[in-house]
Amino acid sequence: MRIAGLGVTFFGLLALMLLLLILPFAFPFSTSVILINLLFYTALAYSINFITGMTGYVSFGHVVFLGIGAYALGASADVYGLDPVLGVLLGAALGLVFALAIGLVTLRFRGVYFAISTVVIALAALNIVLELPQLGGSQGIILNLGFQPYSWYYTIWGIVLFEMLITYYINRGKLGLGIRAIKSDEDAARSVGVNVSALKLYLFGLSGLFAGAGGAVFAWTTSGVFPYETFSLTFSLQMLAMIIIGGVGTSLGPILGAVVVYLPSYYFLTVAIGTQLIIIGFAVVVIALFIPEGIVGTLKRRSASLRELLE
Amino acid sequence: MVALAVILSDLLFGMMLGCVFAVVAHGLNLIWGVVKVVNIAHGEFIMLGAYGAYFLNVFGGFNPLLSAVVDGALGIFVGYAFYFSFLHRELRGKERITLRSEMVTLVSTFGLSLFMSNLAVVAFTGDFVGINWSPGTVALGFLELPLGALYVTILAVLIISTSVVFLDRTYIGNAIKAYSQDITATQLVGANPTKVASLATALGFSITMAGGALLTVWIPTGINPYMGALYAPISFVIVVLGGPGKMLGSLLGGLTLGVVIDVLQAFVPVSLAYAVAFLLLIPVLLFRPEGIVK
Repeated sequence: MRIAGLGVTFFGLLALMLLLLILPFAFPFSTSVILINLLFYTALAYSINFITGMTGYVSFGHVVFLGIGAYALGASADVYGLDPVLGVLLGAALGLVFALAIGLVTLRFRGVYFAISTVVIALAALNIVLELPQLGGSQGIILNLGFQPYSWYYTIWGIVLFEMLITYYINRGKLGLGIRAIKSDEDAARSVGVNVSALKLYLFGLSGLFAGAGGAVFAWTTSGVFPYETFSLTFSLQMLAMIIIGGVGTSLGPILGAVVVYLPSYYFLTVAIGTQLIIIGFAVVVIALFIPEGIVGTLKRRSASLRELLE
Repeated sequence: MVALAVILSDLLFGMMLGCVFAVVAHGLNLIWGVVKVVNIAHGEFIMLGAYGAYFLNVFGGFNPLLSAVVDGALGIFVGYAFYFSFLHRELRGKERITLRSEMVTLVSTFGLSLFMSNLAVVAFTGDFVGINWSPGTVALGFLELPLGALYVTILAVLIISTSVVFLDRTYIGNAIKAYSQDITATQLVGANPTKVASLATALGFSITMAGGALLTVWIPTGINPYMGALYAPISFVIVVLGGPGKMLGSLLGGLTLGVVIDVLQAFVPVSLAYAVAFLLLIPVLLFRPEGIVK
């Protein structure tokens, strides 16, 4: 069943986003704080999905763009008193610029070489920020932006909506064919005329842009930017875990993964912080070794009727 | 004269630091070069080796050098367990590792690193601990060298050179080298590829965990569950500098990194020195992907 070429997944995600649009009015504040976090992690998951999910280039250092976005909002709000929403746009722009610059060099490396180059860049970025007094050095920047749950909520909601639409558009269209060709065999894709380098850079730029926007929202909601926290590799690992569990490269996988990873960890928060990461780590090992397609991919493979519905 | 002494001692300390970095990266180099797999959880096994040395010291009074031997023996078993649970399914029956398998091993070992470091927080607490072992110093002209660091340097060079001799001069070592070049041909001359690959992995882990024990001499209060997040990237950089699979490359990469970090520290803050050292990886990958020396 398709309407104007759009499948059930599209309308399902659209309905979900509409539901999320009105949800803050139906529930008390505490719930919308959970929803803000959930949407934040969803935004991160879609962001890394563009590069790692779609092309198979594992970006272990993806947190670097989150950190850049966070510092963009932090510094602009702290020094120039810029409106936080503009700060988020600035974060997105800087995320894009840095992703294009970094991608121009690192996307030449294949497989493990790309993965480790992203790790060292993230670590180097942290070490550089620690020595920049303009950005607060190791103290970071403390902001006083106040408690604005509705602005936070609708900003991050808008980011996720954009990401979903773009992901869906890429996966459905001719662009998606080229990208899937890169994932299965880059050299073959190049030889049949796919502009491999441009496509990879385009996707990396998109993922940097949205990670930057997400990072800016993170700085806004936590009212501060702290180097060890914002550049923590744990963020990269959580993003990766979410798309691996949900299903890499799909339109539905990132939000599924974010729900599966975030909601339990919210309820286990009281037990111990480390415990959730032990469970997530274990889940990633099992899924990577035994069900590498994640939830969405496995459901598609198992059932012919679902194959039509899930994208 | 004083300035010269400072530069000389910086250089010497950098080289000694480089040797311990080298042995920590050497296990990764062996696995990377032979089995063509990068273990993202490498740092967590260094951490395991360091904690091994710590507990052997607390409960058995072992010094780190003795612990390195025990850790190395334990590492053999850990390496076999790792090979058969993480690598065997991907490598079995293949002539060369596919990009897909490479991704599977990257992601699964990344999960393992998350699992191990956080389990270590629960098991060992997140506190920083260290081993109190200082066998004194030796005077070398105007330089005072700590004997502990000197022993570690000697052992590190010994471990690396032994592995080179082992690979060059023994039958099984030759089989490992052959496997790293052509798996099918290795089978044709009668070597069992699973046996060879698992042995190489086990040796790599043995060296990694022994390296973790030796490292404790250099970090008197630096053993903690998250230490892998620093030493794994350092190892990646070293292996790329030296060229994956070149056994003496670890030493070359380690020395380069140690000297760069120690000398830069004289001019810029420590964290910038580390940032530069990490970023060395990028130009090397761009211009000399086979390592800085051909």
